[in-house]
Amino acid sequence: MPARTLLEARELCLGYGSGLILEAVSLTVKEGEFWFLLGQNGTGKSTLVKAILGLLQPQSGVIRLHADLKDRRQVGFVPQQPEINPTLPTTVREFVTLGLVGIHSRPRDTAQRLSGALERVGLLGMERQDYWSLSAGQRQRVLVARALARHPRLLVMDEPTAGLDPTAESTLMGYLDTLNRVEGLTIFCVSHDLATAARRASHIALFDAGRILAGSTKDVLTQDNLQRIYGVVVGPVSQEMDLQHAPTRGHY
Amino acid sequence: MIAEFIDSWGLFGQIYLSGWLIALLLSMIGVLVIAKDQIFLSAAVSQASTLGIALGMWAGVLIGAGTDTWIRSDAFLSVMAVLLAVIAALVTSRERSPYTESPEAVTGWVFLVSASGSILLLAHSPHGLAEIYRLLSSSLIGAAWEDVWLFALLSGVTALMLGLFHRRLLLLAIDPAMARAMGTRIGTWGIVQGIWLGLAAGLAMRVSGLLYTFGCLVLPALVAKSICREIRTMFMVAPLVAVSVGVLGFVLANYYDFPPAQMTVVLLCLALALAWFVRSRRRRTQRPRIVRP
Repeated sequence: MPARTLLEARELCLGYGSGLILEAVSLTVKEGEFWFLLGQNGTGKSTLVKAILGLLQPQSGVIRLHADLKDRRQVGFVPQQPEINPTLPTTVREFVTLGLVGIHSRPRDTAQRLSGALERVGLLGMERQDYWSLSAGQRQRVLVARALARHPRLLVMDEPTAGLDPTAESTLMGYLDTLNRVEGLTIFCVSHDLATAARRASHIALFDAGRILAGSTKDVLTQDNLQRIYGVVVGPVSQEMDLQHAPTRGHY
Repeated sequence: MIAEFIDSWGLFGQIYLSGWLIALLLSMIGVLVIAKDQIFLSAAVSQASTLGIALGMWAGVLIGAGTDTWIRSDAFLSVMAVLLAVIAALVTSRERSPYTESPEAVTGWVFLVSASGSILLLAHSPHGLAEIYRLLSSSLIGAAWEDVWLFALLSGVTALMLGLFHRRLLLLAIDPAMARAMGTRIGTWGIVQGIWLGLAAGLAMRVSGLLYTFGCLVLPALVAKSICREIRTMFMVAPLVAVSVGVLGFVLANYYDFPPAQMTVVLLCLALALAWFVRSRRRRTQRPRIVRP
């Protein structure tokens, strides 16, 4: 059975005020795909995420979500950092259940969603833990759990590994990989990490000068495209590439 | 001490009840103000309602001089207090882009223009100026039984709203970007919250004055923040602190013949200092010890 289309953008133009950030963007995201959005700062990755979340109206073109996602109850969002005031007291349980805003759930269902979400990011048993006592990597996994508590079919992430050390980053990406491969969760992830994208993504959108090049990792992550966009010659690029030679965050 | 307090109930019952209900109402709303980290906003909103009262009195002098019209009525002053407080709450809590002026700057502007404007408007009216000074220093003496019913109603509605929407209100307060991404209309909710804060603060200002209103908005919530492990429990602890300290304050004020509003605010400040001390001790004992080989 062919995978269902969750998201479709056609000739999408996005911007703020009269300024145009993205022009004529077209891409199709199907169920079970793992997308990485790559590109330099200011090329419109987060702008596209805002449009997908319904926070920014297109200047022209269309963005279509699957009928089940239109009210965005089954869309999970993981920001780069939570905006929460660090002097406020909160526990992992409270933080994760805040993700259930707009979803009617009875206490028993809430408890099940909470434990299920925490289990999927390796934090089961830490419900009563003070959120601020966690490491940066664990807090980021709690953010993912907050999105997973909604039982999303599409998980949108805006640089979820920013500021994490390599171990925490690898752990988080490992959990995301499992969610995608084992549970078939569709993931749409903004990142600067070319090496991780090459290893984990099924599809990539490369952002450059207001346009994007979208497709399967093999088709998009070519030497020519990377040289044109990042301006450097890199090592062999494929899903089986030698990661020692792949550019990582901050090295291109 | 308690027997004397009970004896005074017949004379001051409506004042005591109004004071406690104001404390109850404002402490519930205060949790959201503290969660948003907008302490100064509540001072600006309270001060703006003083400007509303000053504007009402000034209009009464200018338009209704020598007559007994509606513009000189107490109800008109209350409406003006609420109106200006609501406007201030909406202006200061409005979502801004990073390129416009910061909310703190706008809040400071509202506070300063309200504080100086209310004095300037009534500078040549001895009665008006005395009323402004009374509001600034806080006095509950003018509270009536109608105020008791009004604040009981507002407290009930606020508790109901918090019970129904506490998760959404909390997310809106602490992480508006996330709330928006989850489909919450943060503009509409911001307006509703602004109107509610303005209504509560404006009416409380009219009855109790600036010190008591500002104190009850921020101090119980700050005490709760220091002793609670979760934000949602702050919604229960803050009203409990506000009312219990209010009762103690009023009993002591009655016994030692001090103004109850100031006594309550001082006790709340002491409670906050104690909560800070307890929290620092707790953190010190929870800190992991490094064992050297």
